[in-house]
Amino acid sequence: MSGRTLGILRLASIALAVFAATSQISCSDSTDTQESPQEFEVDGQTVVKASAEARAARRAFDGAPPVIPHTPQGSDCTRCHDHDGMEIPGMGFAPPLPHGQTAGMSEFANCRQCHVFRSTDEVFQDSEFVGLAQDFRQGDRHFDGAPPVMPHSAFMRENCQACHTGPSAREQIRCSHPERINCTQCHVEDTSDSTFVRPGT
Amino acid sequence: MATVDRREFLKSLGLVGAGTVLTSGDAEASATATADNLTWDKAPCRYCGTGCGVEVGVADGKVQAVRGDEKSPVNRGLLCVKGYHLPGMLYGTDRLLYPLKRKADGSGFERISWDEALDLVASKYQEALDEHGPEAVGIYGSGQWTVFDGYAALKWIKGGMRSNNIDPNARLCMASAVMGFVTQFQSDEPMGCYDDFEAGDDFILWGNNMAEMHPVLFSRMLEAKRQRPTVRIIDLAVRRTPTSEYADLYVEFKPGTDLALANGILHLLVKNNKVRRSFIEENVVFRRGIEDVETIGYGCFGDQSERYTFKDAAKESSFEEFAKFLEAYTPAKVSEITGVPESQIKALAEIYGDSGRGTVSLWCMGVNQHTRGTWMNNLLNNLHLVTGKISRPGANPFSLTGQPSACGTAREVGTLSNRLPADMVVMKEEHRAKTEKIWGLPEGTIPPKPGYHAVDMFRAFTRGDLKALWVQVTNPWVTMPNLQRFQRKPGDGRFLVVSDIYPTPTTDVADLILPSAAWVEREGVFGNTERRTQQWNKMVEPPGEAREDAWQIMEVAKRMGMGKLFPWPENDWHEAMYEEYRSFTVGVGKDVASYAQLKQVPGLRWPVVDGRETRYRYAAGEDPYVTKPSGVHFYKAKGYGEKAAVWLRPYHPPAEVPDDEYPLWLTTGRVLEHWHTGSMTRRVKQLHQAVPEAYVEINRADATKLGVQRGERVRVVSRRGSVELPVRIDDRGRPPQGMVFVPFFDENRLVNVLTLDALDNISKEPDYKKCAVRVERLEASP
Ligand code: SF4
Repeated sequence: MSGRTLGILRLASIALAVFAATSQISCSDSTDTQESPQEFEVDGQTVVKASAEARAARRAFDGAPPVIPHTPQGSDCTRCHDHDGMEIPGMGFAPPLPHGQTAGMSEFANCRQCHVFRSTDEVFQDSEFVGLAQDFRQGDRHFDGAPPVMPHSAFMRENCQACHTGPSAREQIRCSHPERINCTQCHVEDTSDSTFVRPGT
Repeated sequence: MATVDRREFLKSLGLVGAGTVLTSGDAEASATATADNLTWDKAPCRYCGTGCGVEVGVADGKVQAVRGDEKSPVNRGLLCVKGYHLPGMLYGTDRLLYPLKRKADGSGFERISWDEALDLVASKYQEALDEHGPEAVGIYGSGQWTVFDGYAALKWIKGGMRSNNIDPNARLCMASAVMGFVTQFQSDEPMGCYDDFEAGDDFILWGNNMAEMHPVLFSRMLEAKRQRPTVRIIDLAVRRTPTSEYADLYVEFKPGTDLALANGILHLLVKNNKVRRSFIEENVVFRRGIEDVETIGYGCFGDQSERYTFKDAAKESSFEEFAKFLEAYTPAKVSEITGVPESQIKALAEIYGDSGRGTVSLWCMGVNQHTRGTWMNNLLNNLHLVTGKISRPGANPFSLTGQPSACGTAREVGTLSNRLPADMVVMKEEHRAKTEKIWGLPEGTIPPKPGYHAVDMFRAFTRGDLKALWVQVTNPWVTMPNLQRFQRKPGDGRFLVVSDIYPTPTTDVADLILPSAAWVEREGVFGNTERRTQQWNKMVEPPGEAREDAWQIMEVAKRMGMGKLFPWPENDWHEAMYEEYRSFTVGVGKDVASYAQLKQVPGLRWPVVDGRETRYRYAAGEDPYVTKPSGVHFYKAKGYGEKAAVWLRPYHPPAEVPDDEYPLWLTTGRVLEHWHTGSMTRRVKQLHQAVPEAYVEINRADATKLGVQRGERVRVVSRRGSVELPVRIDDRGRPPQGMVFVPFFDENRLVNVLTLDALDNISKEPDYKKCAVRVERLEASP
């Protein structure tokens, strides 16, 4: 079977799942977050981009796993949120899966372990919790024009392209050269503040 | 970075577009930190018994972020959704900030000072002691107590007030596992550890929804399966759960019939000669207890309904008698009892009997909250003892624990009515003597008779036999089974003091409420499921006048003239108290790590000897206490000649079964997003919004028969009470026809008004998993 036929079959099955889910859910499942959609141009196509505020609104603090901002579409999240992400008819762009094989954990195997649906906007009690703000740091460059180091840990964010390319990438962190897919060849993780000291000196 | 309003901050980066809508919760939030100016320190997660390591990010005196600790061997950087949302748990606007005393007219609470509050507790306890003796005072604690809290409570009540009325909510959760290990190995806690997830081949889950209850361990297991596709997960359950979705084999049995299923597997192992006779001869003895159902009862009917004191009696038995006993459990008979097809029973026997594959049995509340929970623990340990699949990497019976320090505090410190630290019990004179010596008390201080176990404690308080009761770190007016019978009106002449961090149905009925410091607002030690002791530092100040539970106990003790029990300087006592506790554990195979060492590492698994932890207890080459050159050595079981005991345990039916009037099984439990009664997790926006209220899962066929729809509210009724709940059909859990499931986290919809207070005969743990109910449609609302 060609990749294209597979793709069509896959889209059809997703459409079916979307249909099945929406027809089943008749009660108060108003899960879609209120966010301001922004039109965005990718490869000559107009798509809706998730804004930075939307990103923050889905997280308790920078680093917390986002809640799921849409109604349940079955248990296999990676059907839409695969390595590249995909456009879902009637729903928008499903961002790619950022997780690779992290530290021996199949962290994407049980998605609902960390990502939960928002099924109401009510709260049980108000909270004074203030979470860590979104981090907009830029990576250090050795000199102007040198590739920046990663300003954050790559743990559970091994698929750089998930956030840095494609329709769901925020402008500030959009990669200018998505065709080069071996990111860590040039961009290394900044894991320590220490400097090299020769033993014995 | 200076404090900036988040909106301002976003604006400065050009990120706030016109017409942007921030959700209500976010609009008020202001950002005060970036990753650069947080300080990070290690702690175990506050919630489940997995004991994941987290790093806690603090700025401006507040916890603002957490991340999974990549250095923790437990979770290697991964958390579950509760763990990721830990910080929010501290900041609900209704945190208890000051001691609150019930007003004289009973109409509510008024703020009082700590001095007044502590004097009041001391005087009420003294009054009860003077007028009614040590049997009239009690403390009900928790598997979420830190080691400090539990140790202070134990010392105060047993050493100070000379009463054994201390029990933890862990009695409701792992007491059956304790009694399983104690009756067979004469020492509590598992021989295996989490390394089994990478080493095992077959993981057999007995009534254990790990995907929701021990999520990070479940992910470790899934990862093992991804790396080694021959790994199999077998889910034995009474309803389909998210765990079942990942199972290679799903086996559904009728509630309570797991006893028959396990005996059916043992039957086939013996019959097909899949038992390891040489291992048995070297390492196993056989025992038999009282088996008559009439004599044993269920702890809740007739003359057992006020006090359940059944005591088992052991008889010697043999392999031959064991084989004969098992003859009755033929596949045909077991299939009839359990509803499991014979082919599946045979498949399970083949898995356990396959000497080439490592088998790990995993269980938690399904087995423990069971009217024959100790027996069921015995049978699971039996399966591993007769096949020799024990104390080896990847081959172990592994009882999972629910609470973060059910092992570390309740079980190891021994905060149970019958126990003392490090596997000792009040019934044994030499154990009492050792305790009295370490505590510097005269011989004969500690009474030899066990106090009230959890359910009996609340029965006694309701009757009025218990005059003063202190509840810490738990919420019994939500969690007691058959909750109706414990209803309380303050002013009944008894005194109830409750320490907590938020108002709950338990603080609602208290006479005095004490505000506690939570988690990283104080220094602590927890012990997790795999014997790992973990220490953390105080990282932020508690709000208002909240103080840690151990401090509260010590202050009351001092006011009662028992200050010499806690001889340490007021501002520097943690390490000294821990080291005193540690002296109980050293040299007896329960050696916890030193405080100094614990401060440096993400936990260590006891026994820790010469600074080295132990992965597999009783295994030669792993456990420093083993004196044999190879194999296993059950050195703690002195009473069995340093061998383990296989117990012959029959099948007994549950205490209450569905009938015409109440035709459905009710089973209860947790959900992934909420911790226990939700007093913490419901104050976290993301967790509450994911699962805002309890519900009843009904099978589609039953729903059709009843004419109810998804989302519709129905009344669930048992012989004891009723509760209204919205219906869920084909949701995350899918009960079979004839069963409903309700989670217990919701204080507005108390499922425990329905449950039966039937108890395990040996552990006295209640059975929350099985009772009979009916579902009624409500009148169509106008
Ligand atoms: S699995 Fe348990 S210990 Fe780990 S993060 Fe979740 S609740 Fe906390």
